[in-house]
Amino acid sequence: MLLTLRRDFLYYVETVAKGEFLGEFEHIVLLAVWRLSDTAYGMSVRREIADRTGRDVSIGAVYATLERLAAKGLVTSALSDPTPERGGRAKRSFRVTGAGVDAVNRTRQGLANMLEGLEFPAAGASR
Amino acid sequence: MKPPLLMRALLLVVAGEAEAECVAGDLEEEFGQSSRSRCWYISQVTRSLLPLLLLRVRSGELSRILLGAVLGAALPLLLLDRLWCLIYSQIPLKDGVDRAPGFLAVNILAVTVCACISGFERRSLRQGASSAMLAMAAVGVALWACNGSAPAPYAVLVLLFAPAGSLLGSALRRFT
Repeated sequence: MLLTLRRDFLYYVETVAKGEFLGEFEHIVLLAVWRLSDTAYGMSVRREIADRTGRDVSIGAVYATLERLAAKGLVTSALSDPTPERGGRAKRSFRVTGAGVDAVNRTRQGLANMLEGLEFPAAGASR
Repeated sequence: MKPPLLMRALLLVVAGEAEAECVAGDLEEEFGQSSRSRCWYISQVTRSLLPLLLLRVRSGELSRILLGAVLGAALPLLLLDRLWCLIYSQIPLKDGVDRAPGFLAVNILAVTVCACISGFERRSLRQGASSAMLAMAAVGVALWACNGSAPAPYAVLVLLFAPAGSLLGSALRRFT
């Protein structure tokens, strides 16, 4: 029992605490940043998510998630020069790091493993 | 058309300085380019407040500001009130003894100076504004917690001078 707990704890410290697993929204935001590459910033990420998933998320939720991803080392950010159309404010652009790509791959693999062998009814048939 | 001023101010107060800069810039760009309605702007800001506030709490910035507000305004006020209560309890004939205006003036001055020192620790005017609002809230709680009955003009002055001191402190830091 103790050994299992210790093993679980070490597993947690080595993987979860390092942020190697992505939450659902983190995954979506990371993929949006990846898709947008050089043009990824808060509002473009929000727009990309809305266009592709139909989810109308708030800009605050996007920034909070981007901050979390940056803290995990999955994205990096850089400030551009202020522009008049932004009310003289700087734009913060984001970029996926190597660790971010690894995290997406791991999550994708995990999801694929979980989906493997499952049979899905046709849309509307489950009602 | 300009975005609602109140919403912009709310965003600046709730989000940290760096986040508010980026979020407000993004919103303003979208608001100007895509001709979004004021309702859209208001909805985006109100829905963003909680995640941005939580982000600020996690970064530890909010707790530092809260600590500054408590140490800079509420604690001095409570300590001075305790001191006054002690002095008051030593007077044998309490009938007719009111809080001396001089003591209250010293009290207000001490709270303002403490709030000013606390505000000086803030890196920018925006952080100073957040600190000032929290200082006012902290003083409100302190006044409520004080045992002695605080005269109304004194309460109003303290409620005004504590945030003003905090703002003055952050302005001094910026301009010195």
